[in-house]
This record gives sequence, C-alpha cells and structure tokens, in this order.
Amino acid sequence: MLTIFKNEWKAFLRNKIFLFFSIFFVLLLIITTYFGILQNNQQIINQKSAQDHIRNQWDEMGPYNAHSAAHFGTYAFKPNSILSSLDEGVNAVTGIVLRLEGHKQNDAAFSESSQSLFVSQFGKFKISLLFQFIIPLFLIFFSYNIYTSEITSGRLKLLIVQGNSFKKIIFSKILTLLSLAGILLLFSVLFQLLFNFNQIGVEELLRLSIFFLAYILYYSIIISFTVLISLLLKNNTSALSLTLICWFLWTIFFPKTIGSFTEDLTPQSSRFLLQSNMDEDREKGIDGHNPEDVRIKELEAKVLREYNVDSLSQLPINFSGILLQADEDYGNKVWDKHYGLLYSNLLKQKKHYQISGLINPFASLQNLSMASSGTDLIHHLDFLSKAELYRRKFIKTLNNEYTYGNFKIDGGNLSSSDFFKSIDDFNYNGLSIHKIIVKYTLDILFLISWTAILLLLINAKTKKYLINES
Amino acid sequence: MHLITIFVNKKLVIQLKNIQKKFKNKIALKNLNLEIKSGEIYGLLGANGAGKSTTINLLLGFIKADNGSICMKDPINNLKIKRDKLGYIPENVNLYPYLSGIENLDYFSKIANLHFNKSQLEEILISCGLQEDSIHKLISGYSKGMRQKVGIAIAYAKKAKIYLLDEPASGLDPYSSNELSILLKKLKNQGSTILMASHDIFRVRETCDKIGILKGGELVKEMYSKDVTSKQLEELYLDFMKN
Repeated sequence: MLTIFKNEWKAFLRNKIFLFFSIFFVLLLIITTYFGILQNNQQIINQKSAQDHIRNQWDEMGPYNAHSAAHFGTYAFKPNSILSSLDEGVNAVTGIVLRLEGHKQNDAAFSESSQSLFVSQFGKFKISLLFQFIIPLFLIFFSYNIYTSEITSGRLKLLIVQGNSFKKIIFSKILTLLSLAGILLLFSVLFQLLFNFNQIGVEELLRLSIFFLAYILYYSIIISFTVLISLLLKNNTSALSLTLICWFLWTIFFPKTIGSFTEDLTPQSSRFLLQSNMDEDREKGIDGHNPEDVRIKELEAKVLREYNVDSLSQLPINFSGILLQADEDYGNKVWDKHYGLLYSNLLKQKKHYQISGLINPFASLQNLSMASSGTDLIHHLDFLSKAELYRRKFIKTLNNEYTYGNFKIDGGNLSSSDFFKSIDDFNYNGLSIHKIIVKYTLDILFLISWTAILLLLINAKTKKYLINES
Repeated sequence: MHLITIFVNKKLVIQLKNIQKKFKNKIALKNLNLEIKSGEIYGLLGANGAGKSTTINLLLGFIKADNGSICMKDPINNLKIKRDKLGYIPENVNLYPYLSGIENLDYFSKIANLHFNKSQLEEILISCGLQEDSIHKLISGYSKGMRQKVGIAIAYAKKAKIYLLDEPASGLDPYSSNELSILLKKLKNQGSTILMASHDIFRVRETCDKIGILKGGELVKEMYSKDVTSKQLEELYLDFMKN
C-alpha cells in the first residue's frame, strides 16, 4: 500500500500542471489565511480598544445619576476568536456589537459588511470558500479517473498480476488523495497555530481538531463518492459529469432549497411585525416615565403598604427606581415571549438544516466548520442570550442603586464614581467544546456515516476485479 | 529420437479443459481444450473476437469460466501457479509515463514485494533487450517495443513461470518484432512457458513451437510450427477463416 501511495505522490509531483496549480493554490491559501488572520487580529484589537474605551467612560464617570447611566448604557462585543478567520459563519451578516441600555433591547449591529464598503460591494474572499468549494472541486478532478485511467491504460491488470488486490490499489489511491487534501488543510491550520501561537490554548486546539476532522471526513466523502461513481459507471465523462452534478446539488442547490424549506416549516414573522407586536405588548406594561399610568398607582399603593407610609415623600427609597425596574421586568417578559419564540424557531430551523445532512453531507460540514470557529448561529444566539442576561443584571444594578443607594429625600441622588467603577464588563467566552459536540452530534454522526457507508460500498465493489465483457 | 523423448517427457504447465464462456448472449469460448507444456511457446492465432484475449484473461483470473477447468502447475514442484507468478504483457504496455524505465521496473517489482538494487534493475532491463542509455529516460519517450521490453522485464524480474502475451507484435516495426521473438526464445530457453495471442501469422510461425487456431471461441486446429511453412500456415489460417 505504501509503495502505491508513494508512486501516486510521485505522479503528482512530476505532473507540471499539478505542480503549477498546487503552488498557486498553496500561495492563495497562505495569502488568504495570512490576511484573514491579520484582519481578524485587527478586529480583535479594534474590539479590545472599543471595549477599553467604554470601560474608561464608566471608570471616569464622576458622580452621576444611575438611571441616566442606564440610558447611557454600555456595549456587548461578540469576541472574534482567533479561529473566526477560518470560517466567518454568520458573523459577516449578523453584527458583532450589541448596545445594552435601559428600557429596550437592541439588535446586534456593525456586521463586517456594514462597515466595509469593499466587502459590501464585492464580498470577501474567505478561506472557508477555499475549504468548502475549491478543495473539493480540486479533489473531484483528481479522483474521478483514478480507476478508469488504470483500466484504460491496462495498468490495473499489470498491478493485479504483480500480486496486488484490486481493493488495495483503489484504497491506496483514495488515501493518497486524502493525504493531499489533508496537507492543504494542515497548511492553514498550522498557519493559524504559527501566527497565533501565544493565544492558542487547549480550547482552541480542540476546536481546531474538530475543524480539521470535519473537513477530513468531508474530503473522504468527496473522494470516496467520486471513486464509487467511477467504479459504477466505468466511464470518465459520465463519472465526472455525475459527480459534478452531485457536488452542485450538495453545495449550491440543497443549501438554498433546504434553507427555504426549513423557513417554510417554521415560519418567522418579519422584523417589522416582530417589533410592532413587541411594542404593542410593551404598551400594556408600566410606563416608568408616565406618572398617570394606572399600573403605577397600583404599584405605588403596594410599596406604600410595604413601607407602612402614606405618601411617596415618606418613603426611605426612591420610588422612581422601583417603577423603572418594574417597567424593566415587564419589558423583559415581553422580550422573552417574542424573542424566546424567535430564538426557538431559529434553533428549530437550525435543527432541520442539520437533519438535511442525511442527504447532504455539505450541510453537516458547514455546521461543524462554523461551530468549531465559534461563528455559527448557536454561538450567536448564545451570545445574544448571555448579553441580554448581562443587560438585565446591569440595569437592575443601576436601578437598585437609583432606588436604594445614595438616596436623598431632597433629591440630587447621584451615585459615586466608585459605584460605576464596580460594574463589571460583559465578557463572552463562547460555548464549551462539550456543548459544541452535544449540539452538533447529529452532524458528526452524519459525516462519519457517509464516510463509512461510502467506504463499505467501495470495499464491496472492489472485492474482486472481474471483466464482464469480451 | 532423443529430442522427441525430451519433448514427450515435458510436463503440462497450462491445461484448459472444456472451457465455456458466454458474455450476455455472445459465446466467447466453446469447449476450449488447450494444453501447453513446460518451456513451450504456444501461439494462439485468430481473428478479432475469436476468444484469444478471453483465454488470456481466464488464465489471469480476470474472467470466470462458465464451465470447464483451468490448471496451471509448476513443472518442477507440481504446485499450482498463482497469479503473481504469471507474467502478463498486454498489446500496449502502458506503464507510468512520469517514471523512467528503471523506476517502472523498480515500482512494479516493489509492489510484488521484490527489492532490487540499481545495478540489478539495470541488469534485468538490459537482459530484456533495453539499451543501456534509455534505462533512465522517462517511459513517455519510449517506443512501443521499448515499453514491451520493460513489460517483459517486470515479469522476468519476478521469475514468472508463465508469460501471457496478448497481441505483443501488433504495431511493432519488423526490427522490434524480431527482437521480441529473440527475447521470447531466450525466456523459453530459460524454462519459461509462453502463451502468445496474435494476428501475426509470420511472427507466430517464427517464434512459437506450437500453434493453435481459434475461431468463434473454438480451437479448430493445432500444429507444430516445424511442421508448416509460413505460407502453408497462412493458407490454412485463411481457409479456416473462410469456412
């Protein structure tokens, strides 16, 4: 097997066209990876600087009204992990900055495309494009004739007569192609390690391993599928045509149609409708800024009873703070109702898309690629949910301060700068490897099953080489 | 008299008994009985579709016979000859064009678990008739005859007991064709048994000890080449083809 493997590599290395394309491809890979890393690291630096700036604003805040500080708000930054450059996933369109403030929940903004004129006009050349589209095409063109070329040249008989089994010849060739794909992949992964050496920990290494294994499995599927088609059809043109059709279906047609199908299965209301429904529900709650609101009167009576006093002026606390927090609590319920449904629908759509891996291994690859890079929908929703939880805690801290801290009955309740300094920043650490594996078990299983089934079919098809025609 | 005795005593190396083979509805071989003795060069003549290649593929194990038996035995130890001890030279020996002659021989030997050093490989190629200066050149620059010599060298390197040649002279110039004959006779003298399928009546007559004519999957005539002239063989062959 090793001898055939070595000879196949010799064939690659002595093929000038292969060498030219390989060098071109590796250069492209290096350049794309390098610029991806640079761009990603720059984004990490920018984010860090923006985060520091916001922190400074809070640290340097003099005595200030806590409720005004809630309106001033803060920002949650979705951190760009060092692996984000491998696969940008949903980050390019979803936005990575979330403004957190009192009374309202905002959407994430500042997606890359919204910030770069070049990206918004021409798109971005992403390394995942190479991994998901170009390398598989490259592999198809190298594997569609590995069997037929040996047959038509008559070398297959010579190889078998030398004591090799048909199976060994085919599997050696598959292994050679897989090693070629693995080397290209390893190039990028090692490049990541090299350029981010100081920032790579166990977590990143594990994520890189998932990323690497997912692609290796997908490439095994592409190669095995192409070889199997070639074994079945025994004709170069038909084998290449059918493989390319399947590649097109997997990578372009199915993702689009299955995407639309999952949207039909769990339809989402439009952004406008979602917002107007939320506004409608929100109006039913307490309006903290409207003293004539009936529900305010009820809350007022409840608080007066609690403190056993007759008027708001006798209260040892700031009733406005209670009102604002009640308004906040109600707003949170409204958000939970509408966004809870939205997130649950998005996760259902995601699940349906994951199931499509049964017929489309590319879907499983996409999911695992984004998940290991931390740029998938599940990471994004997790970020949004954790940012919202932080916002609630943040606003409640400010409201509590406004209600109970430094309250002066004669007004002028300003909080000290020490209080603002004590407020923690939002830090998002992403999902743990364990959670990623749990959420993406289906995709892992599909990729493994596809590979195993195709290899078993090839194994069955290559048990014996027999000629069925004169 | 002495010569005849030796010939009679020679053991059977290849024996095909009542072989029948059908591809879909087409009969490829019909009750084929063929015996080839040790150290014999057997020439199988026949038109396209007569069953020559099918016979060779049957012996190589690439085709399963519908009926009949095939036996290939080593004349020395009487053991069954396995496929890896067969030398196969197809009509076009398409080796790896990106490898030189010596690299091709090295590769095919290695996959047969045979390891030779450079001088041994060179020696094998030279003994199979390849010019020394072409050994290290890429196969892509080789003529058909040169490639055939490398093909024979591959079989020779593994000490093939039986050589199966499918239309080896086809497309060769007379000089290369003659060189092939000389090489095959050399192998025969070293004890190899050779089955050669061909269209080339003259080359078969010149090279082979025994000749069989296949027609429609049937062995219609067998003779020793010493018993016929090329002209007689041609007439006989044409007669069979006409009828």
